Amino acid sequence: MTSGIVFDIKEFAVHDGPGVRTTVFLKGCPLACMWCHNPEGQSIQPQVIRSLSGERVAGREFSAKDLASLLNEQATILRTNDGGITFSGGEPLFQAEFVAEVIDHLDGLHVLLDTCGYGPQQDFLLLLARSNLIFFDLKLIDAEAHRHYTGCDNDLILNNLQLLSDSGKPFIIRVPLVPGVTDTDENLAGIANTVAKLPGLIEVDLLPYNRAAGSKYEYAGMKFMPEYDEARPLNINMQIFERAGLKVKLA
Amino acid sequence: MNERLTLLKHRMKAGEHWTLRQAQPIDLLPECENEGLSFPRRVARLVHKQCEAEGVVIAPEEKIVFTRTVPGVPPIYSPKDWSSMTAGRTLHELGPVSNICADWELLLSQGLLGRRKVAVTTRARMADDSCAIDFLDSAIETIDAVLGLAARYEKQAGLLGKQDIASILESVPAHPARNFREALQSLRLCQAVVWLGGNYHVGLGRFDQYMWPFLRSDLEAGLLTIPDAEELLAEFFIALNKDSDLYPGVQQGDNGQTLSLGGVKPDGSSAVNDLTRMVLRVSADLELIDPKINLRISSQTDLELLCLASELTRKGLGFPQYSNDDVVIPGLVAHGYDLEDARDYVVAACWEFIIPGRGMEIVNFGAVSFPAAVDQAIREGLAGGMEFDGILSRTAENIRTQVNDLGNAYSRLLLPPAPYYSVFMRGCLEEGHDLSQGLKYNNLGIHGAGSANAADALAAVKQFVFDEHTLSADELVAALQANFNGFEPLRQKLAEYGPKIGCNDDRADALLCTLFDAFAAACEDYGRTPWGGIVRPGTGSAMYYIWLARGHKGMREPVVGATAEGRVRGEPFSANLAPSPGVRVRGPISTLQSFSKIDYLRICNGGPITMELSDSVFRDPESIRKVAMLVRIFAQLGCQQLQLNSLNAETLLDAKAHPEKYKNLIVRVWGWSGYFCELAPEYQDHIIARSLYQLE
Repeated sequence: MTSGIVFDIKEFAVHDGPGVRTTVFLKGCPLACMWCHNPEGQSIQPQVIRSLSGERVAGREFSAKDLASLLNEQATILRTNDGGITFSGGEPLFQAEFVAEVIDHLDGLHVLLDTCGYGPQQDFLLLLARSNLIFFDLKLIDAEAHRHYTGCDNDLILNNLQLLSDSGKPFIIRVPLVPGVTDTDENLAGIANTVAKLPGLIEVDLLPYNRAAGSKYEYAGMKFMPEYDEARPLNINMQIFERAGLKVKLA
Repeated sequence: MNERLTLLKHRMKAGEHWTLRQAQPIDLLPECENEGLSFPRRVARLVHKQCEAEGVVIAPEEKIVFTRTVPGVPPIYSPKDWSSMTAGRTLHELGPVSNICADWELLLSQGLLGRRKVAVTTRARMADDSCAIDFLDSAIETIDAVLGLAARYEKQAGLLGKQDIASILESVPAHPARNFREALQSLRLCQAVVWLGGNYHVGLGRFDQYMWPFLRSDLEAGLLTIPDAEELLAEFFIALNKDSDLYPGVQQGDNGQTLSLGGVKPDGSSAVNDLTRMVLRVSADLELIDPKINLRISSQTDLELLCLASELTRKGLGFPQYSNDDVVIPGLVAHGYDLEDARDYVVAACWEFIIPGRGMEIVNFGAVSFPAAVDQAIREGLAGGMEFDGILSRTAENIRTQVNDLGNAYSRLLLPPAPYYSVFMRGCLEEGHDLSQGLKYNNLGIHGAGSANAADALAAVKQFVFDEHTLSADELVAALQANFNGFEPLRQKLAEYGPKIGCNDDRADALLCTLFDAFAAACEDYGRTPWGGIVRPGTGSAMYYIWLARGHKGMREPVVGATAEGRVRGEPFSANLAPSPGVRVRGPISTLQSFSKIDYLRICNGGPITMELSDSVFRDPESIRKVAMLVRIFAQLGCQQLQLNSLNAETLLDAKAHPEKYKNLIVRVWGWSGYFCELAPEYQDHIIARSLYQLE
C-alpha cells in the first residue's frame, strides 16, 4: 500500500474541469516557478500556514486506499453531475505511484490530470493511462528561460507532451501569463508552434497572472521574490493562437 | 430596464415619496372610546380611517398606483386598557397577526364586491350570532373603506387625464381582475392596506400561480407582449420596496415581503410556468431587496431553471431561497396537513412553510436554544461524574423543558382580530369568524437555534473526554468557567481537532440528529395546543445566533458562555443550518451531506442550510451551471431548504469602513435580505466573518 502527501482537498472546484469536481492537491513539486500561486505545494514536507482565518497544517499523509474511500463517498454525486476528480498540486507526477493507486481504487470516476509535465516518462505514462482529460501546462519554450524561472529544463516536459499527443487522449494546454516573462509574443508564438499540429488538443487556456499569489508566501513562512514587474500590464495576445488555427480561451 | 423604470427605481431609492408622508399618524382613540367599540370594530375602524387619511399620489410615470402617505399605525386602546387586556397574556412580537399568507386568488377571482356579497349573505344566515355579526360588519366596513380609497384614486386619475389608470380602478379591486395589469393593481392596493392596518410580514404567496392565468390570456390574446409584461412586473416590484422603512422587523429589511415560485400544483404536476422564469429575470435585473424570492424545487427540477435562479444568486441579494418539495410536502403531510394543502405551501417571512389562506399559524414563536441545553448538561454532567449517555439524556430533558415553556407561553397568547386580513382567508366570511379565531391550520412553530455549535460541543466532549480520555472532565469544566483564559491550547484542540458538523463525519452528524430527534420528540409529546394545533420543530435560528451569545432584552433564553466546541463567550453561534463559525469544513457537498441526515419528516418548520460562495464562483456561464448543479445536489441528497449567498469579503470590509460608498450593497441576514449599511454592527461583523472564511 502506497501513501502520499496531500495539502488540500477542495470540493466543488468550479474552475478545475468539467462538471462538479473535487480537486486533490498533492504536495511537492519538482519545479519552483517564480510566480507559483500554491507555494505550500512546493515542498513535500508538511508546513504550518498562518492566515487571517487562523493556523493550520498543510500536508497530510493518506494511504491510497483511504484517500480513494474518502473521494468515493461522493462518487454518485460527482458522476451524476458530469464531474469527477482532478489531481493537481504541487505536482501529481511527483507522487505518480500513489496517484495511480488512488485512481485504481476510485469508483469509476472521471479523472482529470492537471500537470506541469515534468517527470520521468514511465511516471507520466502511468498516470496518462488512468486519466480521461489532461490539463498540461506550458510555460516557456526557451530552454534557458525555463531553467531560470522554474529551476528545471523543459526537455522532459516537451517529451511528455509528445507522448500525450501520441496517446490520443484529449488535453488542454494551459499557459500562465506572467508579465514580461511568459506573455511575450515570442514565447506565445513558440508555444502556438509547438502545439499547433498536435492531435487531441482541445484548446489553449491562457491564465492571467494572479497578483494575490504573493500574499500566500508569507502565510506559508516563505519568501516571494519575483524578478519581474507584477504591475506591468499583461500582453494577452490571443491572435497568435488563432492565427495558428487553435481554439484559445482566457480562463 | 427602460428609462421609465430606471426613473421609478431611482425615485424610490432616493425616497422622494417620503416627502409626501403626513407628519402625524391619525388619532382614532377618542372615537373608539366614545363609541365603546368592540375589539374587531376598533380594528375595522383603524383600517377604515387609515384608508380615509391616505392622500392620493399618482406620479406622472406610474402605471400601477398607490403610495403610502400615512406614517404609522395609531393605537386603538389606551395604554391603561391595553395593559389590563394583556395582563397575564402573551403577545406574539408586536401583537398584531403577522407572518401568515392570504389566498390572493380570492381577491383576484371575486373582487372586493364579490367578497362583500359573501359577507352579506353569511350575515343574513347568522343574524342571531352577535359574534359573527360583529366580525362580518367589521369586515364589510374595511371592504368599503378600501373601495372608497380606490374611488378617490380613480377620480384623481381622471382629473389628471390618466384614463388608463382611471378605468382600471373602476374595475379593480371592486371586481374580479380581467387582465395582468388589473391583477397587479388590485394586489398592490389590497396588500398595502393590510400593512396600513398594523399587520406585518404580509406574504405574497404563490405569485406565479395566481397571476399566471391573467398573463397567459393577455399573451395569447395579443393584449400584452413579454417586454410589456416584464415592465409592469418590474414596476410592481419597485412599488413593494417603497415603504420598507415603515415596516417593523428586528432589523430594517426584515419585512417579510416574500413570494414563492415553482413547485407543484394540487394534483402533483409541475407548477413552473413562464411567469416563474419572468419573475427570476426581472428580480435579477432590478437588484432590490423586495420581494424576497423563494423557489420550490425537487430532485427532478430542470437544470435550466436552476441556472436562471443561480443568475439571481449571482447578484448577491441572498435569494432565491430553495425549498425541496420532495422533503417538505411529505413532512407537512406527516404533521397533519392534507396532501393538496401541503402541495400548495409557501414560505413565510423567513423560511417557515405555511399554507396560503388556510393557516393562522405562529411559526416563529421562539427558539429552542440548543447551545443552552447542551452547555448546561455538559457542565453539570461533567462536574457530577456522569457518563456521556447521561449528558445526552440531560440535554434532551433541557430541550423538553424549553419546548414546554414555549408551548405554555403560547397557550396564553392574545391574538388581536384582523377583519380585513380575514377577507382573503378561506372560510372566514363564509362562516362568520375572524382569522384570529382560527383557520384550517393553527399550529405553533419553534426554531432550533445554534444546532451545529451544540452538536460540535457534544462531539468534542465525547471524543476527548469519553473516547480518547485525553481530556479530564475537571479540566474542561474549569476551562469553560474561565472562558478559556489560561486554557488556550485546550481551546485550540477543541476548536481544531474535534469532529465537526459540515464534514460528513458521523461522529458529529449523529449528535446533530440526536439533538433534532430530542426536539421532535418534545414537540410530539407536547400534544395539542389550546388552539387545537400541534407544535412544529424547525432548523432556523432567526436572530438567536446573536441574541443567545450576547443577550437581548426581548429574549427568555439564557445567554450562553464559553462552550465545549472551543468557542469563547460572546462569539455568535451558527446561523440556521451552517457549520459552527470559523470551522474549516471539507466543503459545500460534505456540508450538504451532513445536514441531509436530519429527519425532516419530523422537523418541518423550515430553516435553511446557509452557504456562502465567493463571487468568483459566478464568473462565467459554465460555473453558474455548476452552482445550479450544487442546488440540484442539495435536492438529490434530500435536504430541506437552502440559502446560497454570493459574497466578496473585501467589498464587505470596505463597506463597513465607507458605508457612504455602498448604499446599494445587499446581503442576506438570517432569513431575509437587507441593505448592509442599515444593519447593526454585530450583524455586519457576522457576515464579514462568514465571507472571510470562504476566501481561504
